[in-house]
Amino acid sequence: MSHKKNIILENLIKVFKKRSDEVRAVDDVSLEIKEGELFGLLGPNGAGKTTLIKCISTLLIADGGTVIVGGYDIRKDPLAVRKMIGVLTGGERSLYWKLTPLENLRYFAALYGVPKKNTNSRIDYLLSLMNLTEKAHYRVEKLSSGMKQKLSLARTLIHDPPILLIDEPTLGLDPYFARFMRQFIKTELHQRLKKTILLTTHYMMEADELCERVAFMNRGKIRALDTPASFKKIMPEEQILEVKCLGELDRSLFTQLKESTSLHLKKQDGFSYIRMNTDNPETLLSDVVDLVRDKAKVLSVLVTSPTLEDVFVHLTGATLDE
Amino acid sequence: MRIIIQELRKEFKILLAYPIEIAFWIISPILWVIPLIFQGKALIGGLQSSAFGNLAGTSEYIPYVLIGAIFSTYMFSAVWSMGNSLRNEMFYGTLEHILSAPVRPIYLLLGKGLYNSILSTVFVVAQILICIVIFGLSITLSKIVPMLFFLLLLLIGLYGVGFIAAALTLLVKEAHGLLHMFEYVLFLFSPIRYPVEVHPVTRAISVFIPLTYALIALRGILLGLKYDFWQTSLYLFALDCAIVPLGIVIFNLIEKKTKTRGTLAHY
Repeated sequence: MSHKKNIILENLIKVFKKRSDEVRAVDDVSLEIKEGELFGLLGPNGAGKTTLIKCISTLLIADGGTVIVGGYDIRKDPLAVRKMIGVLTGGERSLYWKLTPLENLRYFAALYGVPKKNTNSRIDYLLSLMNLTEKAHYRVEKLSSGMKQKLSLARTLIHDPPILLIDEPTLGLDPYFARFMRQFIKTELHQRLKKTILLTTHYMMEADELCERVAFMNRGKIRALDTPASFKKIMPEEQILEVKCLGELDRSLFTQLKESTSLHLKKQDGFSYIRMNTDNPETLLSDVVDLVRDKAKVLSVLVTSPTLEDVFVHLTGATLDE
Repeated sequence: MRIIIQELRKEFKILLAYPIEIAFWIISPILWVIPLIFQGKALIGGLQSSAFGNLAGTSEYIPYVLIGAIFSTYMFSAVWSMGNSLRNEMFYGTLEHILSAPVRPIYLLLGKGLYNSILSTVFVVAQILICIVIFGLSITLSKIVPMLFFLLLLLIGLYGVGFIAAALTLLVKEAHGLLHMFEYVLFLFSPIRYPVEVHPVTRAISVFIPLTYALIALRGILLGLKYDFWQTSLYLFALDCAIVPLGIVIFNLIEKKTKTRGTLAHY
């Protein structure tokens, strides 16, 4: 038996057909996630990230290509693959709400083959790790969204899988639980337990903070793959100037600006959000303030370095909101 | 075995969260049986009908129908509850998580089937008790043992039918209509309320339904009608041997199809 804990995808293809329409949700994707690596798959909604995770977790049968998980081919040995992986998807809807956390974990422990003699200690450990011991006998429906997501994570870890597939872990969570989730993935699962993790997200900040390598996915294809730091280096040596104004400004106002290589203007609820790339933020700021003086009030100014989102836009021409 | 027991425990714990449903299971045996008795009395004015006797081999119309109605519970439970059980998992949002576990789905279905069999047995026993009280039906130990034997053979075959029903709910998301249709087709061609000899087509199709043989045997045991123990057992056993593997094959094929189409957890 192989003890490898990596994931290898070779020319993976998944096509959804609906009458005459055909959508290539995963289009010839090849990548390798190394043992113990925290790998991020980034892209907007509909990019094919969840489809990819479902193919790896044997919930979808691919139309072409090969997937090897922990040394096992998902087509030839799906049960062995399922023993190696823990899948966190669907958030709080992945539990039985009419059962308690204890009953949920006991059920999934049996389902995932946790030996009977280890079940209680494993459940106690996971409930304690998630600060849910006191809620062990409450029905899941009585728990908050964040607690349900923690319990979903405990369910994912019940059989101590070496490989984790985590789909949008902080989607819909409040900032407190989102921070807990990110911290837990990084320090506990990645650094301490050395799990191999494939994480999908459309929050660039999350990938930047957590992942060792990231792949940008759009329209079913991997557009680029590298470390966050390397990605940022491919951006022109510019900074980002962000200005928030009270008042809705017109795009034509900024056409004469010479110090900016790009302009993103968003108008919402009476406010204007201006975002520009520049290698001279001080001069550009002065020009912007002069331009908007009679039309709007400058509320805040921020000068930052390019983020992964800027890299994504730079490489694909698409934004994550699309 | 552990998975089947855990599945059973889970289903019962979820049932306990729905008190109205528990009340339904307690009251419904009475509501199911009483109208049949009234219907019989209204139609033939008593317990017996000579016209019916010519066709069914017994003139005891009401006991004949009651036995059919009571034991058909197992068949409708297999179709309706086992079929709907995966639909419930879709509704909870847990279907993908149980199907991505390192366990063959057929074991989960067996657990769900066992849960439904237990509920059905409670339902059937309650109805038999009503019949004992109202009709003075006598059930001796010598009747119970062969009854249990035929019920066991019936249940095995019905699990195969349940696997097919579960597969259909994976394939067709509007499962309610489809299951109702499946249920009524079985109802039409089974000797539940009338002998299948009433029409050549019902007679021809009924030979493929396990309930047909189980009802022949159960009526034979309870009403003293003539039946061949070994022949009926053999037919039922042969049908079980065909239906269970057929159910498993159909379920596996449809599971694979939904995984290819990407519609596994669509609700």
